Amino acid sequence: MSEPATNVMARHGFLVVPLLLALAACAGNGEGLDQNGDPIVAGPPANTDFEEIQNTIFTPICTNCHIGANAPQGMRLDAANSYAMIVNVASNEVPGLLRVNPGNPDASYLVQKIQGNNAQGARMPFGGPYLPQDRIDLVRRWIAAGAPGPAAAANKLTVASTIPAPAEIAPAGLTRLSVIFAGDVDATLANGETFALRDGLDAPVPLASVRVPLGRPNVVELTLAQPLRAGSYQLEVHGGGPVSLADNAGHLLDGDADGVPGGDYLMSFDVSAGEAR
Amino acid sequence: MIRFNNWLRVAGLAALAGAASQANAEPYLAAQMGLKCAQCHVNPTGGGMRTVFGNTFAQTQLAAKRIGADEDLWTGQVSKYFSVGGNLRANYSYVDVPHQSQTNDFAVEEARAYLDFSVIPNRLSVYLDQRFAPGNSTNMEANVRYWIKENAFYVKAGRLYLPFGYRLEDDNAFVRQVSGINMQTPDEGAEFGIEHGNWTAQLAVSNGSGGAAEQDHGKQFATRLEFVQSAWRAGASLLFNDTDAGNRSGAGVFGAFRAGAVTLLGEVDFIDDDSIGASGRKLMASIAEADWKIRQGHNLKLAFEWLEPDRDVDEDEQTRASVLYEWSPIQFVQLRAGVRLYDGIPQNDNQNRTQAFLQLHGFF
Repeated sequence: MSEPATNVMARHGFLVVPLLLALAACAGNGEGLDQNGDPIVAGPPANTDFEEIQNTIFTPICTNCHIGANAPQGMRLDAANSYAMIVNVASNEVPGLLRVNPGNPDASYLVQKIQGNNAQGARMPFGGPYLPQDRIDLVRRWIAAGAPGPAAAANKLTVASTIPAPAEIAPAGLTRLSVIFAGDVDATLANGETFALRDGLDAPVPLASVRVPLGRPNVVELTLAQPLRAGSYQLEVHGGGPVSLADNAGHLLDGDADGVPGGDYLMSFDVSAGEAR
Repeated sequence: MIRFNNWLRVAGLAALAGAASQANAEPYLAAQMGLKCAQCHVNPTGGGMRTVFGNTFAQTQLAAKRIGADEDLWTGQVSKYFSVGGNLRANYSYVDVPHQSQTNDFAVEEARAYLDFSVIPNRLSVYLDQRFAPGNSTNMEANVRYWIKENAFYVKAGRLYLPFGYRLEDDNAFVRQVSGINMQTPDEGAEFGIEHGNWTAQLAVSNGSGGAAEQDHGKQFATRLEFVQSAWRAGASLLFNDTDAGNRSGAGVFGAFRAGAVTLLGEVDFIDDDSIGASGRKLMASIAEADWKIRQGHNLKLAFEWLEPDRDVDEDEQTRASVLYEWSPIQFVQLRAGVRLYDGIPQNDNQNRTQAFLQLHGFF
């Protein structure tokens, strides 16, 4: 039979309560981190609605769950994947609705989920707190404006993000790079002529393949012929010259971000000797 | 009448065995009772529809008081071949996020119905778990379960919740968020399970797509092994998800022990996910929970959780401390009140929120 509760607490409670209180002091102090818990890296502030959505909603809140290989509904909302996962992508829960329907916030499942008038499942963020109205308005405004990608502008193709990120120190043995664009890429132009990787001695690094993955038309994946060794590397995406990358409408890459289509995109990163970044 | 009396005897034996506690879908209850999940749930890994024992126990041991005639004992069995069950949680919630207006609202957290068609009693069942709220009707589980040897080996296939760690009621617990395996994200696949003496073990293979349609050729493997004793239990889980975006692997240990009216429960999970960023990310989450059965129908729960969202980054840790009181005044009704204190990096308001809730939980 159970021991009387008061006796048990008298004998064990003194162990449990102080343990819980002691553990309660273990949260990080956030030193050297941004609001998303990532190390602060110098860079330009968010200058588009989408970047603000990423930095104030997706990364700090949604990626508590929507990240990695087990993301609910397969929808990853980290900066490297969010745009490709939501814009013009059908919802799994309500396949007749796009997650983000550019120009039509009311017909965007993402909006319905954060407003709470969704057809399926719980309102997001799951379990609350729900987004303040000004954040919901931000998402609506971005979609109403056509859901432009990060730094996207009319009549040109731009790079939204890369994996690894610029200036990132990737672990040794890296075998694949991804470039995420703010628009759909002309897959026929994604090849070894428009994409190049060079090591610290400016020697070309062999690529095994350059391809646009199925179902992700704004992403180009570069598979390396050999795992990368420790050192510095530079990724080049050609937007100028005789062979240039473009979107499906023929708009050239604005790789140098000067606002004019046609420049090369250059991005440097390092590979460490060990596994830790 | 004879049948009802038999159920009462079962419940009485349970009480005599010292299993006195509450019967719900939470693992601490199994630990308090010294029983496997399969004792109270038709799903051997816990959660969802309750067995005849689970329903009987809910009426005779869970509630502070049982009302109604003795012969009106609900078992869930409409017939030998068909059982029903359900859960409804209605919440009033209050949230205080620093630098934001406080909010409060009423909401139906969930309403679910369970159907079990036992076409070959104790051997072959077709099981459905349908969520009716929030939102439109959504199927959460739909599987066929076949006991190859009764109460010893089973295989099930269809849409199912995966085995990994403790199947906590709170899907927002850090361990359930980090593992990505909880009762909001069923997956489609097959599971093989063993119930042998003090051991319970499961191995599942599934799409590994978080409930979405399969997106690549890789599959997810999740396994769970637990040794159950009357006063304590311990187990371990492993997870591997092979995806085109990168592989995700995980390992966890969990356990519980009972000291009189207090049950302590814990779980620690480590996840490595290559699909996050270029270098992948290593996460860790843990929970320590103490449940004190003050007297029949009354439970005080203290829980502390720790989340390390990136083990390669210092000072980004988050914690959550919870105090909950659960009162079951009569059978099949539970009133829950709780406060959860989040603590995280100061530059993220959401990680430093306070949430409180009142919940009316009806189940059968």
